[in-house]
Amino acid sequence: MKKTFLLMFFAVVSLALNAQMNKIDFQEYTLDNGLHVILHQDKSTPIVAVSIMYHVGSKNEKPDRTGFAHFFEHLLFEGSENIDRGEYTTYVENAGGTLNANTSFDRTYYYEILPSNQLELGLWLESERLLHAKVEDKGVETQREVVKEERRLRIDNQPYGSILQESMARAFTKHPYNWPIIGSMEHLNAAEEKDYKQFYNDFYTPNNAILSIAGDIDYDQAKVWIEKYFGSIPVKNPNVYRPSIKEPALGGEVRDTIYDNIQLPAVVMTYRIPAQGTPDYYAVAMLGTLLSNGQSSRLYKALVDEEQKAVQVGNFPLGLEDPGAAITYGIANMGVDILDVEKSIDAQIEMVQNELISDVEFQKLKNQTENDFISSNSRIAGIAESLANYKMYFGDTNLINNELDRYLAVTKEDIQRVAKEYYNTNNRVVLHYLPKPVNP
Amino acid sequence: MKKYSIYLLFMGVFFMQCSKKTTDGMVDKGTEMVKEVASETSWRSGVPSPGEARAIQLGEANSFDLSNGLKVIVVENHKIPRVSYQLSLNNDQILEKDQVGFVSVAGSLMGTGTTTKSKADIDAAVDFIGARLSTQGSGVFASGLKKHSQKLLEVMTDVLYNPSFPEEEFKKIKTQTISGLSQTASNADAMAGNVAGVLNYGVNHPYGEIQTEDDVNNMTIENIKKYYNTYFKPNNAYLIIVGDVTPAEAKADAEKYFASWKSGKIPATNYSAPAEVKGSNVAFANKDGAVQSVIRITYPVNLKPGADDQIKSSVMNSILGGGVFSGRLMQNLREDKAYTYGSRSSLSANSLVGNFNAGASVRNAVTDSSVYEILYEMERLRTEPVSAEDIQLVKNSMAGGFARSLESPQTIARFARNIYKFNLPADYYETYLQKLDAVSIADIQAMAMKYIRPENANIVVAGSKDEVAANLIKFDADGVIDFYDAFGKKLEAQETAMPEGVDAKAIVSDYIDAIGGMAKVKAVKTMVSKYKADIMGQAAGMETGQKDNKMFYMEMSMGGNIMQEQRFDGVQAKVGGMGQSQTITEGPEIDAMKEQANAFGQLLYLAGDSPYTIDLKGIEDVKGSKAYKVQVTKASGDKLYEFYDVKNNLLIKTMLTQDVPGGEPQSITTEIADYKEVSGIMVPHKVTILGAMPFPLVMNAESITLNGTIPAAKFKTN
Repeated sequence: MKKTFLLMFFAVVSLALNAQMNKIDFQEYTLDNGLHVILHQDKSTPIVAVSIMYHVGSKNEKPDRTGFAHFFEHLLFEGSENIDRGEYTTYVENAGGTLNANTSFDRTYYYEILPSNQLELGLWLESERLLHAKVEDKGVETQREVVKEERRLRIDNQPYGSILQESMARAFTKHPYNWPIIGSMEHLNAAEEKDYKQFYNDFYTPNNAILSIAGDIDYDQAKVWIEKYFGSIPVKNPNVYRPSIKEPALGGEVRDTIYDNIQLPAVVMTYRIPAQGTPDYYAVAMLGTLLSNGQSSRLYKALVDEEQKAVQVGNFPLGLEDPGAAITYGIANMGVDILDVEKSIDAQIEMVQNELISDVEFQKLKNQTENDFISSNSRIAGIAESLANYKMYFGDTNLINNELDRYLAVTKEDIQRVAKEYYNTNNRVVLHYLPKPVNP
Repeated sequence: MKKYSIYLLFMGVFFMQCSKKTTDGMVDKGTEMVKEVASETSWRSGVPSPGEARAIQLGEANSFDLSNGLKVIVVENHKIPRVSYQLSLNNDQILEKDQVGFVSVAGSLMGTGTTTKSKADIDAAVDFIGARLSTQGSGVFASGLKKHSQKLLEVMTDVLYNPSFPEEEFKKIKTQTISGLSQTASNADAMAGNVAGVLNYGVNHPYGEIQTEDDVNNMTIENIKKYYNTYFKPNNAYLIIVGDVTPAEAKADAEKYFASWKSGKIPATNYSAPAEVKGSNVAFANKDGAVQSVIRITYPVNLKPGADDQIKSSVMNSILGGGVFSGRLMQNLREDKAYTYGSRSSLSANSLVGNFNAGASVRNAVTDSSVYEILYEMERLRTEPVSAEDIQLVKNSMAGGFARSLESPQTIARFARNIYKFNLPADYYETYLQKLDAVSIADIQAMAMKYIRPENANIVVAGSKDEVAANLIKFDADGVIDFYDAFGKKLEAQETAMPEGVDAKAIVSDYIDAIGGMAKVKAVKTMVSKYKADIMGQAAGMETGQKDNKMFYMEMSMGGNIMQEQRFDGVQAKVGGMGQSQTITEGPEIDAMKEQANAFGQLLYLAGDSPYTIDLKGIEDVKGSKAYKVQVTKASGDKLYEFYDVKNNLLIKTMLTQDVPGGEPQSITTEIADYKEVSGIMVPHKVTILGAMPFPLVMNAESITLNGTIPAAKFKTN
């Protein structure tokens, strides 16, 4: 019954995949000081997103100063030569805007979304942050405590909150993906004034940044203001440090047990995968969709609906600039041994390795991928970030319009091949998360 | 279902959001990151002035009615080739009585089967076109690429018209719901929310109904079908179509897929407005071992969507603690006093009844100070006019938020729906910015006088009773704190006067007498207890044995196989199961085993050289019975609470709080019931463990044997 239904279905919608998304136009250029500028005009709403992406994340940190990139993100809201402590927020809120920032393994991203007549304010604020930020002792102390709260909130006090940290610590031994983005509190405590100055000069330099602006702008006016506020900012460091550390092969399965404040055990399998943007990365991403996108996906259907061994399953590639990892996990249903969950997940992965997927299922993957890609750029804030991402990591801003082709170039055979090549036991870390022992 | 949002978790760690910060005016020397020549950059010190603001254009919504009464709202937006369909019932809230939450279960169940499709078929159909489909008790939502919209509408309407309510899926959803509820007792936010709901609205109002496990067990599939058959009608519903679709296409789709839906009579329900709160009322929900208190200062208000007061009162609330980071509660409790990570307030309009809420999560020691500061800021807003700067910042920020929201076509659709649903003037949103701009300083004070009531509020706190409660009496108008359980059920007066001469040792002695007397209890050399439990539909067995107060074993089995074992021979232990057991020779596990080797551990409390300290902490309500609360402190410092029934002296509950490094302490509660005589001693035959697993583990005794022979193999550790 199910099969016929699917086949009929296939006949109806299996049309050629002509990605009929609307093209995103943009202009880009580089200032003399190396700052790359991307502009996208969309006048449908009188708002503008002003953002700067700095090519510095936790992987650029020194091993004895982990957590610095993220700590810096907090400090750079503290003010500048011309902006007193806390005024950053009041300028933006008074202008009717909103602001925030975030830090990843690979980059740090700041943005404001403002009424479009306040574009110049946004440019001024971001140029102040890049040119001459200023941090008072009070700000350093406050932000140190805030970051500690953040760590408690997101990792220590969160069931399963340490999964990423524990997995990456074992999947990488040499590469800085080994340490967590939030870093070590001891390192933050040990940081001194010279460390701040050094980090700021090393990485907050125009040749290490992309200014991406999307929304209701006039291209010519925007360019004039950009030259005014950013053109004279000097290059502080012409040779920005990029780790060139090559992580050796894992060389055999790593297994460990973590006791956490949780109710249900979980198994977490971390497979080492290629860097984002490589052809195999796209095949690994499609494999992830096959395994866990939607309730008809392989893992969900088998483990949650049919076998009822797990309450939740998932798989996703982390998508990192250097070769990274994909994480597959299952949270056990009550009374199910965690090894049993692991076996069921393994069985599903082996099935992909041993049997080529059907045309119908392959078509489903393409349809899901297309839907997700086309839906991803609905807001100007998201477009500004995507444009900067594509330029920073791939050197090709126009991928915002055609990266889908790279996914659709993946074949069924590629998916089977990467399942064999990367999803093998010698290339993974397996963690069992178990509830902390309880005295009855 | 308790969803572990693990994917979001990863994203959260991945992208450490910065929290927005503002100034408190302190200035010190500061670290100048870069030395530079001032004269070249002096022009930089001036803040750029804004250009001319572009007029805000509200997008257009088309609407029409189908002949069956379904109102269709269409917002055309061709930016992305996607279309979404939101079908929403506009029915009155219903009282769910002894099946609280069944409407939500009905909604979940609708998506799990139709007369021609299984859950797997529906999932496959939706995923194949890369779409999303979700069902709720009050409607159905679907979205996907435009080119697949016909297929998506077919599945959506099949789920809408032909749900089969499969028994199997119903059982699954019930189990998942109960799992979720069992977490409430360790979730102070949920506890405070439940108590606030009951106090603000009363239990006979739909907003005051709190779901418990009993409600879930009472749910029947007949009731769910009846709900569906009665309330899923087009004549009081909206279909909102947004995206890459022309009004003509949308109309054709609406006719094709929704015109045949039969209208019917839908019962209307009226509720009387909840009583206003008179005087301040402190309500406390205890969470033993909590390190933070959740504070909610709250009361119902009569504020309807679109009322004249709505925009003015919203500006007023933002100044106090809504929206902007510059709100007074955030500035006072976080930036100035560092009591909390965040403090906010809300004033919500609702067509039944609205509410005000101000609160924060704060560490134990500053709980009363935080209540004081929140009340202080509430009062200050009533008595002092706000500054021109304060009001302007909030108005600017709200105007900006309004403009940003217009980027989403869903906002335009929501505006159009609100105009119908709340019977607003047609230009309500077109004139929003003018109305916002016109709000004056005098308006703010008038709104504060009307809606901010620091002296007539429910002050709900969920946290550690022992550490926090006593300091809150000063805020209560009649000087009595009312105590509630996690689900908003009022507990009988907790501070019952202690009878003269009662102490912890006497209570434990009385317990020993009650179960058979010291002589008989001491004569117990072996004890074997076999229990049966039901774990997510599977039968499980639990067997424990003790010998000479020195040896212990525990076996947990499912389907005849031992899944977990613990064996202790008095010296070392074997722990594990499924062929993966390991031997332990020292550490906290061994100490725990030594404790468990005692068939009646209370004997040790009374011993002359007892390693335990016991203290009487008061009388509390345990499931309707008054019980002495005895605190047992172990040599390790770990604390255990035991509750002895005042009437018959039997032990009816224990609670163990464990420290979790870096986290909040975790509590395990054991309820003990159904005492029956075994060889002259009263032994409990029903044991319920809460907090160790995501749902209560109920164990019923099959047999309990005293002074029998136990095979030596049961204690073998190697």
